Parts: sequence; C-alpha cells; structure tokens
Amino acid sequence: MNALAIETASMPRRRVFTPEDRILVTIGLYGALILAIAVPLALMFLWSIADGWSPPLIVPKDYTTARWAGILGDGSLIRATVNSILIAVVVTVLTAAIALPTAWAMARFPFRLKRLVEIFILAPVIIPGLVVAVGIGQVFLLFGLAYSVTGVILVQIVGTLPLMIRLMTATLETIPDDLIHAARSLGAGTVGIVLHIILPLAVPGLLAGGLMSFIGSFEEFDKSFIVGAPVVETLPIKLYMYLDPYSMQLPLASIVSFILLLPALVVFIVAGRILRDDLMAAGMGKI
Amino acid sequence: MSELEICNITKDYGPSRALHPVSIAVERGEFVTILGPSGCGKSTLLRILTGITQPSGGEIHLGGKRIDQAPPEARDVAMVFQSYALFPHMSVAGNLAFGLKMKKVRKDERARRMAHALEICNLAGLVDRMPRQLSGGQQQRVALARAIVMQPSLLLFDEPLSNLDAKLRDTLRHELTELHRRIGATSLYVTHDQAEAMAMSDRIVVMNEGRVVETGTPLELYRAPKHVFTATFLGQTNLLPVVARGAEAQLPWGQSVALDAPATGDIQVSVRPENIDICADEAGSGTVCAVSFMGANALYTVEIGGRRIRVSQSGVEHLIETGRRVTLQFPGPVHRLNGTTAQEAA
Repeated sequence: MNALAIETASMPRRRVFTPEDRILVTIGLYGALILAIAVPLALMFLWSIADGWSPPLIVPKDYTTARWAGILGDGSLIRATVNSILIAVVVTVLTAAIALPTAWAMARFPFRLKRLVEIFILAPVIIPGLVVAVGIGQVFLLFGLAYSVTGVILVQIVGTLPLMIRLMTATLETIPDDLIHAARSLGAGTVGIVLHIILPLAVPGLLAGGLMSFIGSFEEFDKSFIVGAPVVETLPIKLYMYLDPYSMQLPLASIVSFILLLPALVVFIVAGRILRDDLMAAGMGKI
Repeated sequence: MSELEICNITKDYGPSRALHPVSIAVERGEFVTILGPSGCGKSTLLRILTGITQPSGGEIHLGGKRIDQAPPEARDVAMVFQSYALFPHMSVAGNLAFGLKMKKVRKDERARRMAHALEICNLAGLVDRMPRQLSGGQQQRVALARAIVMQPSLLLFDEPLSNLDAKLRDTLRHELTELHRRIGATSLYVTHDQAEAMAMSDRIVVMNEGRVVETGTPLELYRAPKHVFTATFLGQTNLLPVVARGAEAQLPWGQSVALDAPATGDIQVSVRPENIDICADEAGSGTVCAVSFMGANALYTVEIGGRRIRVSQSGVEHLIETGRRVTLQFPGPVHRLNGTTAQEAA
C-alpha cells in the first residue's frame, strides 16, 4: 500500500512533451489541415473542370475548361465583382467607424442595463439573416431605400456590426486606464489620445474585425438579395443565379465557391503580411 | 507663497468623504512624501493633483497659478505611475518623445532633453527597445525619464517602487534620491512604506482616514511625533500611559523617568525600543519573553507590570535568555505625545 502510494506520487500525471513528439504533432496538425481545407479544395477544383463524373468513376471521365470560360467571360460578372468590392470597402469602413465609439463605451463605462444592450448588439447574429432581411426589406421599401446601393450597404452593416463591436470591445478592454491618464498628463488632448494611443492599440482588433466585416460583406447573400436584387447586383447574387435549383450542378457550384473564396484568401494573406503573428492572434483570440 | 499650495481640498464619493479638508504646502525643489496606510486618501489626492479626479472643494495653486479646474493636459505636472503606464506600442524613445510632441517642443530641443533624461536615468543603451523587452526596474526608469523629460513644475510619484523586489527597490530608491538632488524638481511622493519615506524625503506628510495627521522632517516625526498614529506608523514604539509631575513621570510599574516636555496628570508617552536599555538583574521586575537576534541589534520583548515592552539593543555581545529577570533603564527623557489622553490611546 505504502509502496504503491509512493510510486503514484513520483509518476508525473501527464507525460512531458519531448522534442521527439514534435513530429507526431506536426503530422497531426498538417493532417487536419489537409482534411479540412486541401482535400475539399482539390475536389472542388476537380468538379469544376470535370466533364462527366458519375458515381462508379473514381476520377472524371474527361476534363473541360468550358464552364470556367463561360462564367469568366460573362461581362456582368466583372461589374458585379467591382460592385461587391466597393460595397465591402464602404461597409467595412462604416462598420469600424460605428463600432469604435460603441465599443469604447461598452469597454469603459459602466451603465445601467449594460447586459441588455450587449444582447441587443448581438441580436442580428442570433436571429436568422433571412428574418432580419425580410423585416428590414419592408422598412426599406417604405423609406425608398430598397433596390439601392445605400440600402444594400446599410443592411449589410446590420450583419457585420455585432462581431466588430464584440472584437473592438474585447480589444479596448485591454487598454489600462493608467495609460490614458498618463497620456493626458503628458499633454495629450482627446484627439491626441485617440490618434496616438487608442487607435494604435486597437489595430489588432480593428484588423481582425475589418477582415471579418470585409469577407462578411463580400459573401453576404440573403440580406443583399432581398433588399437589392435585381437592381443592385453583387457577386454572390450573380453567382447564386448560376445555380439552377432544379438540377443541382456540382461543377458550377464549385466554380462559384472558388470565386467567392478568392477575396477571403487575398485579404488574409495581405493581413498576414501587415500584421505580426502575435498581434493578429491577440485580436483574433479574444472573441 | 510656496511652489505648490493645496488648500482645503476635499473629495466626496456620494455620502462618504474620501478626503477631509487637506492642506499641504510644498516649497520649490522640495521632496515631500505623503505617507499613510492604504485607503487613507493619498492616491486620491495625487489623482486630484494630476487632474484625473475632480476635487469636491478647495483650491490648488502651482507656481502661483490656480490649477484645480484645469484639465490634466494643461497642468505643468508629470506623474510616475505605480503600474508604470508605458505606451506598449512605442519604443523607449517614443515614450519619452510623446509628451514633448504633444506640447509641441521643437525638434532640436526635444532631442537635447531626451538625451539628458536618458543619460540621468541610465537608459542610454535601451532607446530602441519596446517596453515589453525591459525588466521591471528598467520600465520604472523609463517611466521616470518620461516624466522628467517634461521638466514639469511638479513631479508626482504614485508608489513607484511597490512593484519591484526588495533589492531593486533599494537600488532605485538611492537612484531616485540622487536624481532629485541633481534635477531639483519639486516632488510629491506617495507611499505606504515608512522606511522609503524616511530615507528619501525632506518632509513627510502623514495621512490617515482622509486627513493630514501631521507634517515634519523625518527626524522630527520619528523623534518627536505629536500623535499616536505617527508614533506607531513610523517605526516601532512603546506607548505608555504615565502620571506626570512636572518634568518627571511615573511609569505604570512605578519607575520614574524624565519627560522631554513638562506636564501634569495622566498623559501618554512614546518610547522607541532603541531608547531603552536592558540589563540582566536577578532582582529586576521585568521578564524577557522573547528574543530575536537581527545581526546589528537584538530585539527583546520584556514583560513588566503586566505590559509587554519592546527593547532594541545594538552591538550585543551576549544575549539575555528568555525567562531571565531584567531591569529597564531610560537613559534619555521619554517623549510626551500631544493632544491625546491615555483613554484615547487605550
């Protein structure tokens, strides 16, 4: 009994991580990455160029680039892409501009019913997009905002704002009061503090939230569709039109997915270059 | 008129009063410490001086100008924070330059002042480091440099050494004293550490429960405190109720001692442990209850007349063992505390 007790006590509860384990961890992580991202992407790519790929076949019978050429050759697609990018930029900037002061108030000042306000901020995320869209669509019709770019931008902000406010609140909460006090006693006014202290320290949150907003806006379908279509054509609206609901075509769907994936990819690569890893992680990790 | 005049400053938080009318005057170039236990209002006072907190009443004059209504950025005051409050996204140079840029100091003047501040704070090699790459002591020195580079009329310190380990605290305390001697800035230093206060200050303001208890040089406050609080908060002491008859007084166990100020009736005296001599004596009326040898001195706790008296003896060659009978002698006059009766102290 005694000997047993001593033995359990001397045994470490968890195995210590040794350098030899690194290879296993590497294999595991890369395996997950391949399964989650690379394999679906490869399959999608195969589907997009497949010419006849019915069940018994392991690989497509033949290959064609005709569908890619067909979609990319569509002139209105370019216009829709430009539309989408412009809308996404405006939505991101406006979202940030609205979220920053809101998040500042949420992070800094205790006020009555704060929990309730927090829930209200998150409401658009909790309620399905379509419900929000239909409701807002009605209101926008009344105000004459339906079928306008302004209307689409506004309705998209409803969707991007909650996440941005959450991210910014989390980032701003990490700024100690003393930092603001120090800046003030060193002679900085409100503008100086916002420009030189708060904004630079909010950059990780702003970038993380900005990326989310940009991608969220770029890929947004249901709200834009209800408010803007058919007058305002964004890329998702255009691309979803290619999907024929009566005969689901995987090849076309693959191409649509690829095109929608592209901006996300570009934005993340650009952000990765701008931001050092630790800052990015700090912004992303505090949702 | 003094460089800094704090006149009847009060602060109320709702119905509770954090600061009762507080008045402190600091001369130009003086190093004054506000000493008190946590919650005594010393930090509130400092925040009022920087302008972070608004006072409920009273006036503050700095260099002849009234500043209590001015916003923090318009006051000629710089503060060294307990948490250092360095800007994490700026290098050491960036932190130092920030205030100068905000106050629109010309570029050549800025460079000159920064070089000077870096030199006197021993930061020469660390200009391009980011705050997170610095040790606690180095961060503290950057915070100090950031304050003195502003050449403020008033330099405030909010327990700047309390986050450092004991040895580093000692080093930085010396550096701070040396620095003050060199730049001669009017300084107000807040701490709860009485050793720190005594070692650094020209004058100490003792605060308790939102009030100034008393003010004086470290020597005055230690040797001749007026109040019980000061006597007990600065160093160790024995408080004894005595019956005074002019220049003499009778201790509770019947022994007679000389008083430093004549009085009659029941009064209270404060006797520092090092002002009592202890002597082994089989016929003595005291008994040693505890001994601790500290190196430079030995601390005895002696039970006499139902009381426990602390005695410190320096340069000891032989320790008196626990349980031995001793007599206590009072070579100098004992200090009479003002304004307090024996009942109040009991």
